[in-house]
Amino acid sequence: MAKDPLAEAGLHFDELNKLRVLEPDVSQKTTELKEECEEFVDKIGQFQKIVGGLIELVDELAKEAETEKMKAIGARNLLKSVEKQREAQHQQLQALIAEKKMQLERYRIEYEALQKVEAEQSEFIDQFILQK
Amino acid sequence: MRLKTSLLKEPKHRELVSCVGWTSADELYSCSDDHQILKWNLLSNDTSVVVKLQDEIYPIDLHWFPKTVSGKKQAVAEIFALTSSDGKLHLVSKSGRIEKSVEAHRGAVLAGRWNYDGTALITAGEDGQLKIWSKSGMLRSTLAQQGTPVYSVAWAPDSGRVLYTSGRQLVVKPLQPNSKVLQWKAHDGVILKVDWSAVNDLILSGGEDCKYKVWDSYGRLLFSSAPHDYPITSVAWAPDGELFAMGSFHTLRLCDKTGWSYSLEKPSTGSLLSLCWSADGTQLAGACGNGHVLFAHIVEQRWEWKNFEITLTKRRTMQVRNVLNDAVDVLEFRDRVIKASLAHGHLVVTTSLQCYVYSAKNWNTPLIFDLKEGTVSLIVQAERHFLLVDGAEVYVYSYEGRLISSPKSPGMRMDILNSQSISLSNDTIAIRDTTDERVVFLFEAQTGKAIGDGKPLIHKIEVVLIALDQCGSSNDRRIALIDKNRDLYLTSVRKLGRAHSIYKIGSMVDTMAWNDSANILCGIQDNRFTVWYYPSVVFVDKDLLPKTIFTKDSSEFSRPPQMVSYVGSQVTVRRVDGSLVCTAVSPYPTLLHEYTSSARWEDALRICRFAKDQTLWSCLAGLAVANRELSTAEVAYAAIGEIDKVQYINFIKDLPSKDSCLAHILLFSGHVQEAEATLLQANLIYHAIQIHINLYSWDRALELAVKYKTHVDTVLAHRHKFLQDFGKQETNKRFLQYSEGVEVDWEKIQAKIEMEFAKERERAANSSVRSSVSVRR
Repeated sequence: MAKDPLAEAGLHFDELNKLRVLEPDVSQKTTELKEECEEFVDKIGQFQKIVGGLIELVDELAKEAETEKMKAIGARNLLKSVEKQREAQHQQLQALIAEKKMQLERYRIEYEALQKVEAEQSEFIDQFILQK
Repeated sequence: MRLKTSLLKEPKHRELVSCVGWTSADELYSCSDDHQILKWNLLSNDTSVVVKLQDEIYPIDLHWFPKTVSGKKQAVAEIFALTSSDGKLHLVSKSGRIEKSVEAHRGAVLAGRWNYDGTALITAGEDGQLKIWSKSGMLRSTLAQQGTPVYSVAWAPDSGRVLYTSGRQLVVKPLQPNSKVLQWKAHDGVILKVDWSAVNDLILSGGEDCKYKVWDSYGRLLFSSAPHDYPITSVAWAPDGELFAMGSFHTLRLCDKTGWSYSLEKPSTGSLLSLCWSADGTQLAGACGNGHVLFAHIVEQRWEWKNFEITLTKRRTMQVRNVLNDAVDVLEFRDRVIKASLAHGHLVVTTSLQCYVYSAKNWNTPLIFDLKEGTVSLIVQAERHFLLVDGAEVYVYSYEGRLISSPKSPGMRMDILNSQSISLSNDTIAIRDTTDERVVFLFEAQTGKAIGDGKPLIHKIEVVLIALDQCGSSNDRRIALIDKNRDLYLTSVRKLGRAHSIYKIGSMVDTMAWNDSANILCGIQDNRFTVWYYPSVVFVDKDLLPKTIFTKDSSEFSRPPQMVSYVGSQVTVRRVDGSLVCTAVSPYPTLLHEYTSSARWEDALRICRFAKDQTLWSCLAGLAVANRELSTAEVAYAAIGEIDKVQYINFIKDLPSKDSCLAHILLFSGHVQEAEATLLQANLIYHAIQIHINLYSWDRALELAVKYKTHVDTVLAHRHKFLQDFGKQETNKRFLQYSEGVEVDWEKIQAKIEMEFAKERERAANSSVRSSVSVRR
């Protein structure tokens, strides 16, 4: 076939007989490329979304792990401090007990003295009655 | 007794509270590191911010200007001193306005205290300096300078000395330059707080060695506590000097002045950085390390007398329990109870406005009267009336609520009197001077005037404790006193023309008390419990004193104990550890005193015969001689084997006239001068001379003879005989001079003496028969 003068002039007709500047092959391929590119962008977008979600998820997990870790540390500390608190309370109660013991000792001494007085007095009364 | 504490749920301050101070009994100011000064009203339970200080002011110490300034009393304090960590001293008004700020120290100002009369302020700084400021905040002087910070400072009761901390040491420095500084090592750690009570002159210190200690003003240790778990961060004397409070981490303790602890509280306050008592001594406030302000008041205080037991159950409520039948009465008051006293069958209670007087027979209807000032710091009771120390004055009221008298003495600070420096009996008030402790002022209770010529009793050295006897007539009123050397003296209050004779009746006496129903004295002498059954015996027959004393071992009391009461035949003593120990004294001496005071001599003799006790007989002998009851005295002296005295009494009984009888009884008691005066007054001059001849006081005998121009030869003759007997030469110039002109003729002298006796007999016969009978009865 002879060379199409139009083709030489760089003009082509497509299937719909519309005048085109590009060769139909090239044009088709271009379109295909474009479509493929779009597809690729879409896929990349999707991939990004998925990865983003994943990252978020992992982040959340990390956060949760962190709080749990803090909680665990806190609990451990609390346990320790309860021990200390108990010790302090124990100390306080011991001090109070010591105080009460001292008071008891004072009362005991007073009671003994009073008992002695009572004995002396009853002895005196007996003596008094006997002599009369 | 214990402290009832109250804390709010949430602290009002955001940061630690560093200091607190009362303005009145119901209003408190507190300062905190959040730069706020809060005012707490306890009546309305309001808390309001007085002022927010500048951000660079971190308050450290606050002290209100004293209310009593030179006797004049202000209703409320108007200004306070505030020290801060930036080295400044601020004078702040009640409304919170900073009147004056001065650069006081380098580094923080750790303490600031007004003296008792408000004329000076002392500040102590981290730079180790002590500075004294005038009332208006002008620097007067730098009292001391040292290498370590001064954490705490306190004024002496007389405001003439200052106590401050120096690391582990305490220093007492007089304001006067060049006077002696007292310094001693007090604690094993840094001392954080000190306080000095104006009333009992005792020093309190607390430090990082977790102990608190009580010292006297000479630096002698009286009490040291067991170590606590945390350092002692605050100590404070109650205004009446009977109690103190001590604060530490989560710890508040109420202690007696002798150091033992009444109660321990464990409030969640953090460290108690500062403690402050209200002026009436009923409320305590504490500055807490966790931003709280702690309030506390005393409850469960107890009073006992015979079969009654009274407990302060709440601030305004008392419970009276009769132990015999378990009857319980509840007494309600309109205001807070400030002071109470139970003795002699009456309960006296003071609140901030009124005084209530209850009789033990009737707890329903008290007698109520209004108080003059309303800050009663001391109540002393006697059988017929009671005494209130109210602010700067002393008032004596009858149990019917009538004001009897108000003794005054210029220059005396009545507000710092305590139970050891004042004593009351039915007719007399004795008050130890507050400036010169050797002086004891004596007043008539009925009029409030000074007794006799108004001269006070002045002892050789400082008097520690005074006590008046409670029974008998006012002319026989005796005062017992213990001085600084722990010697016990007895003297009579009304001297009636005689010289003040003061007798030492005991040594190493720690404490003593008179009985409430007889003039019997008991005390702890040299570790032995001692009862002077009849201490006044020293005025009639000194030799009898050791025989009228009853002693028993007092190891059960420990040393040094305190006498709480001596009621009836029961003595109550408080040991050093705070326990009360009762001991019984024989009831016979009380009975004996009762019989002799109502002149039932037969009964007195019978009781002595019944008890068969030498001490009792000695007592009776003394009592009989004091009452000129010769026949009883004779029996009593015979019973204790004092034959010489029996003989002398017989001789006295045979004397013809009343006057010579009286003179010889005086002579029997060793009162030569009075005996001589009695005889001279009765114109029995020869007898007076004879007394002196018998006592070998030749000079006085000759003096009398020459003065009355009679019996000069008698004196010379006796003197001559005396010298001859001892083979001596006459050296006395007066005798040499008179012997020249006088001839000694024994016969003539004998005749003259006979004549004197005859004359006396004649005169006695002429005088009314009745009087001579009464003498010889």
